[in-house]
Amino acid sequence: MEEKKIILTEEEKAKNFEAYNDRTHVIGRVVCIITLILLTGVPFVMGAFLGAMPDFKAVGRGFLSIGIVYFVSCIAEFLVYTPMLGAGGTYLAFITGNLINMKIPCAMNARDIVGAKTGTAENEIISTLSIATSSLVTILVLAAGVALLIPLQPILQNPALQPAFDQVVPALFGAMAYKYYRKNIGTAVWPLLVMSILFMLVPSLTGSTSFMIIPSGAIAILIAWMKYKKS
Amino acid sequence: MLKTLNSPTMYLICGAIVLFVAGVSVFFMVRAWRAGIAIGMDKTKMKRTITASATFSVLPSLGILLGVIALSGALGTPLPWLRLSVIGALHYETQVAEAAAEAAGLSGLSVSEMTPRAFVTIAFLMAVCIMWGMVFSVFFNKKYLKKLSAGGAKTAKAGGFGDAAMTAMFIGLVSAYIGSYIGSFVSEKGLFTFSGSWIPLLVAAVSAVVMALFIWIEEKKKAEWVEGFALAASMLAGMAAAAIAAAL
Repeated sequence: MEEKKIILTEEEKAKNFEAYNDRTHVIGRVVCIITLILLTGVPFVMGAFLGAMPDFKAVGRGFLSIGIVYFVSCIAEFLVYTPMLGAGGTYLAFITGNLINMKIPCAMNARDIVGAKTGTAENEIISTLSIATSSLVTILVLAAGVALLIPLQPILQNPALQPAFDQVVPALFGAMAYKYYRKNIGTAVWPLLVMSILFMLVPSLTGSTSFMIIPSGAIAILIAWMKYKKS
Repeated sequence: MLKTLNSPTMYLICGAIVLFVAGVSVFFMVRAWRAGIAIGMDKTKMKRTITASATFSVLPSLGILLGVIALSGALGTPLPWLRLSVIGALHYETQVAEAAAEAAGLSGLSVSEMTPRAFVTIAFLMAVCIMWGMVFSVFFNKKYLKKLSAGGAKTAKAGGFGDAAMTAMFIGLVSAYIGSYIGSFVSEKGLFTFSGSWIPLLVAAVSAVVMALFIWIEEKKKAEWVEGFALAASMLAGMAAAAIAAAL
C-alpha cells in the first residue's frame, strides 16, 4: 500500500513547531524540577537506610571550597551550550550530564551530518534526537557494565587498555578539530595560537581548561565576526 | 561498609532514578520525532541522526563506565552508577568526590575510612555541586533562548551570524583543549622543556588523520554512509595509538 504523504504549508509547519516548543519548555522545567528533587533527595533516602544523615557543616565547607567553582562553570556552560543545543536539547543535556565529553560533540556531529542551521526548527529537533539517543546509549552501556561488572572489570581495567581509555577526550577533539579547522582555518588559527602560548607560559592552567573555553571561544567569535562584517 | 554500599537496596534506590531518566530520554526522543514529522522533516535525516549519535556515544560511554569502576572502590557501585548515568560528568565527579571526602573529614576518598555519615555527606555534596545547569535551565532557558532568537532575527536580516558564531564557539572549545595538550607537552615539566606528556597530542593527531581519511572517502567516493561512523572510528584509532604508544 502506498503511504499517504501529507504536504504542509510553511504556516502550518511554523505553528506546529511553535506549539511543540512551548510544550518543551513546560515539560523541560517540570522534569528538571522532579530530577532535582530526586537527586538531592537520594542522599537522605540512602541515609535513612544506612542510619546516618549528611553533615551540613561539612557540606557548607565543601561547597565553599569546590562547589563555587562548579557553580561558576555551570553559568558558563549554560550560557554557551543553550544556544548550541536549543530548548529540548538543553533540558535533556543538563539532566543527563557529560556535556563536553559527549553531548555537545554528539549534537554538533549530528547537526553537521544533516546540515541543520543554528536557531532553526530542524536544529532543535536534531539536537534533541541526538542528545536523547546519546543519553540512552550511556544509560544502557552503564547498566550493562554495572550488571557485568565482575566479568568486565579485568578487561576494562587491563593495564594495556588503560592508556587508551585515558585518552577519550584528546581522541574526540583531534577528530573534531580536523573536521572544523579545515573549513575555518582562518578562524581557528588565532584561538589555537593564543591558547597554546597561554598554556605554555602558565602550564597550571590545564587544570581549568573548561574555563579557558570562554576566552578561546570569544577570540574565535570575534574573528568570525570580523570575517562576517568584511564579507 | 562497601558491602552495605553495594546492597540491593542501594541499587534499587539508584536504579529507580536511572529508570526515570531513561524514560524521560525516550519521551523527549518520541516527541522530537513526532514534531519532526509534523514540520515535514525528512525521516531518513532523523534516522541518520539517531544512528550517528548512537555509534558515536558508545566509546565515551565506555570511558564513563571506567569512571564508575574507579569510584566504586570507595563509594560502592550504585552511587557512582547513578551520578554518571544521570547528571554528572566524568571529569567533575571524581574531583568533587575527592573534595567532598576531604570536607567530610576523611583524608581522601578511601573505603577504609568511609562511614555512613561521611558517605551521605559526600553524596549530598556531589548533588549540590553539580546541579546548577538544571537550576539555570528551569529559570532562564526560555528567556535566554527568546532573547537570542530576538537578537538573531535582527542579525538574520544581515544574513545570519548565529550559525557562524556557534561554529566559532565550538572551534574555540576544541582549540582550548588542543592548546592545553600543546602547552602540557611544552611546559608541563618546567617552562619550555618539551618533556611533558606527548600522548594526548599523538592521539589527537592520529584521530585527526583518520578523520581526514574518512572525509576523503566520503567526498571522493560519495560514500555518505561513512559520515555516521567517522567520528567513532577516528576516536578508536586515536585511542588504539595511545595503547600502542604506552606498550612501546
